Order: sequence, then structure tokens, then C-alpha cells
Amino acid sequence: MNFMEFFWILQVLIGIGLLVSAIVAIRFKNLIMAVIAMAVFSLILSLEFYVLQAPDVAIAEAGVGACLTTAMYLLAIKNTTDEEVIE
Amino acid sequence: MNVDTAFMVALVLLLFSAMLTLIRLLLGPTIPDRAVALDSMTTTTAGAMVLYGVITKQAVFIDVALVYAILSYIATLYIARYLVKKKVGIA
Repeated sequence: MNFMEFFWILQVLIGIGLLVSAIVAIRFKNLIMAVIAMAVFSLILSLEFYVLQAPDVAIAEAGVGACLTTAMYLLAIKNTTDEEVIE
Repeated sequence: MNVDTAFMVALVLLLFSAMLTLIRLLLGPTIPDRAVALDSMTTTTAGAMVLYGVITKQAVFIDVALVYAILSYIATLYIARYLVKKKVGIA
């Protein structure tokens, strides 16, 4: 397995993961599930920046996407009324 | 078998296991299942990032894995605190 073939396999896996997590984040009605799917989306997007040789952008995306938006969305959901569906 | 080929095969297997945890996150019946699947997926992907840094022989790529491991821990902590406060998954 040379490097270009391996890079192609990696790109296909990352693309499938991005598509699946974006569809889950849009379609699911549960708010916590949407927040978790957004965390997964940001994780796979950070991996994509990482594979495309931009580690500084990957660090920024990881910091903003993994920690900050997840915490902010959860704090916002916690302050709403109890309309969200919790299984 | 070359050492780099072994590393590449290990990296593809790690990403495949991350996709398996993504399937569990997709159809896990309860919310704590999905939170644990997210935590497992971030740990697996941090390992994959370290392995990719070893393959391309660049030490900058290890820092991304460190930062992502710490921040995903904080995100999991926030989700767990929310679930405890809302009493989700507690019998």
C-alpha cells in the first residue's frame, strides 16, 4: 500500500463520516443528540484539516468545536424550558 | 512487510473502529449510550492522529492530538453534568 492509495482510503472514510454526522445533526429531534452529533461533526472536520497538512487550523477547530460550542449549546439548552425530548 | 505499511494498516483499522462507534452513536437507544460512544470515538481518533504523525514524521501533529484529547474530555464532562442534572439514564 503506497501513500496515495492510503490517502484516498482516508479521504473516503472522512467523507462518509462527515455526511452521516451532518445528516444526524439535522434530522434528529432530540436536542442533546443534535449537540453530540455536532461534536462528532467538528471532530471529523478537525481530522480533515489535520489530514490536509494544516495542524494549526486543526488545533483551532478542535478548541472551538469540541469544547466551546458543546459547552455553550448545553448551557443554552439547560436554560430553556423543558420542551426537549429526553428518552 | 514494511513498517510504514504496518502503521498504515493500523491507522485504517483505527478509523474503521471509529466508524463502528459512529454507527453505535447513530442507533444507540438512550442518550448515555451516545455520550459514551462519543467519548470512545474521540479517544480512538486521538490515537489515529498520533499514528498519522508517526507516519508522516512531523512532530507538530502530536500537539493536535494532545489538545483534542484534553478538550474532548471537557466536552464529555459537560454532557455528563447535564445528564446528571436532568436525571437522564438514572434508574
